Amino acid sequence: MSLFRHSSLSDALGIGLILAVAVFSLLLLVAPSIIVLMISFDTRAFVSFPPEGFTLRWYAEVFEQGELVDAMLNSLQVGLTVTLLCILLGVPTALVCARGRFRGTTALSVFVLVPHMVPGIVLGVAVLFAGALVNVSPSIWLQSVAITVFILAVMVRTVQSRLLRLDPALEEAAANLRATPFQSLRTVTFPLLLPAILAGAVFTFVEGFDNLSVAIFTHGFRDRPLPVELLALVQYTSSPLVAAVSGVQIVLAIAALVAVSLSIGLDNVND
Amino acid sequence: MAVASRTPLPGAHGMGERIVDALLSGRGIWPAVPAIIVLTVVAVIPFVILLSLGFSDIEVSRGAIASRTFSLEYIANALTDPLYWTTFQRSMTLALTTTALCVFFGYPVAYLYLVGGRWTKRLILVLTIAPLLTSGIVRTYAWLVILGGRGVVNSTLMGLGLIDQPLRIMNTHWAVLIGMVQIHLPVMILPLIAVMSRHDTRLMEAAANLGASHLGTLRTVIMPLSVPGIGTGAALVFTLSYTTFVVPQLLGGGNYLNAATMIYEQVVYSLEWSKGSVSSMILMVTCLIVLVAIALVTNHFTRWTQGRDA
Repeated sequence: MSLFRHSSLSDALGIGLILAVAVFSLLLLVAPSIIVLMISFDTRAFVSFPPEGFTLRWYAEVFEQGELVDAMLNSLQVGLTVTLLCILLGVPTALVCARGRFRGTTALSVFVLVPHMVPGIVLGVAVLFAGALVNVSPSIWLQSVAITVFILAVMVRTVQSRLLRLDPALEEAAANLRATPFQSLRTVTFPLLLPAILAGAVFTFVEGFDNLSVAIFTHGFRDRPLPVELLALVQYTSSPLVAAVSGVQIVLAIAALVAVSLSIGLDNVND
Repeated sequence: MAVASRTPLPGAHGMGERIVDALLSGRGIWPAVPAIIVLTVVAVIPFVILLSLGFSDIEVSRGAIASRTFSLEYIANALTDPLYWTTFQRSMTLALTTTALCVFFGYPVAYLYLVGGRWTKRLILVLTIAPLLTSGIVRTYAWLVILGGRGVVNSTLMGLGLIDQPLRIMNTHWAVLIGMVQIHLPVMILPLIAVMSRHDTRLMEAAANLGASHLGTLRTVIMPLSVPGIGTGAALVFTLSYTTFVVPQLLGGGNYLNAATMIYEQVVYSLEWSKGSVSSMILMVTCLIVLVAIALVTNHFTRWTQGRDA
């Protein structure tokens, strides 16, 4: 469809204006990351633009700072724990939501969604207070469980929407061939679900790694996750060190994007 | 592993599998029970506790609750203290402005996605999803670099000779608003794209064949059909920007107080947990009211367009 097939001047102007805003918005989305990447190679010890010179010093320094490396490892642990818990709890729940033959499957879907709809900081505060009542103090485990509850809905919905698009005939065929429910799940349903589980895993991992709103109230005093450490760093220092950490994150984000697009294709992320 | 005497299919068929079979064959609720228990213990019960703490006078010592007595003092305080009013009002105004601006800047991108070719679509998806995979702090930090005294904006303007002194943008309301809009833009664009990619493109062709201009098609065909996407996007952006912590904290400076930073100070710094509970409740309730309003407006316009079809 050619864009300006039969258009009057005002029509062309209006569409041109809309497309101009679109291009501006896209630049707005990408420009900050590019500027941060440029800053991260600057030789000067304060943040200024445009950068002068090129150095990898800040990247080296990121990995020499004990607290930052510890924080990264903590966040990695939280991310992996959250992902694992979300798979273990979320995939069976999605099966029930999509395939359950009892009244209340809709109620179950809504119930799973509730903690996700509540603002993260409210969930964080609630978990902190509830923990204090039963003498569970904030720790890396409390943080992991709280973030799991917060993000579980994403895993359930990703897998559930995939299940709803699967042809039920496949599972019926397996049943007709006398496969037990477990065999049918393992050999038919599960392989078909794998891309959705992978996509869900990427998003739950990113949430576990990056979440601040829940983590800021529930993280352990000694094992601070990366977002909390970064927040302090951004607030109290002005070296390009943060830019280097950002650079690492941007590279990881691109890797995650490639992983998702290879497993299910970007076009399916949105469903 | 115990081998069952009568197996439906050849091959080992252990105890575990039979239990799984039993659980799955009924198609009952059992596989979801662990998730239900975890959600109840870690979300539902804590919310009830949060609610009850708002009605109590709490003393906190060494991270535990030392004493707790019933009191309506904090609820009453919150409703009369002007600090609460101004803070929540500031958050609300900021979040609503952010949502409106995200629609303004996001909708054209979704339109470009709709009319664009294959590579345009891919580029838009990558540019929209990639920021969501990097942390909010990193994205906010970028704005410190851009808007700061020696940042991109000031260097450029001074280089062009337009200003002599760096403009003070950081630590103002404007810095917070700019950061908010940019950071939440992807969350608006994705639902819009999701709805628009379900559009029947033949509708647009039909409109064009009937002589509709591009703007006319946009106004009478595309926009009415994308109302649900605007609703979803607006709900997400509003929730996130109303309750965000990072952007106001970093771009607004130390004195900029919004609902989230206020709750953080009450809970973490001054250990006034009763106040913290009340603030969290107000945050949740006011957020919910706006979400319901957005849903009602969305429904109204969706039904309106469906009504016109009939």
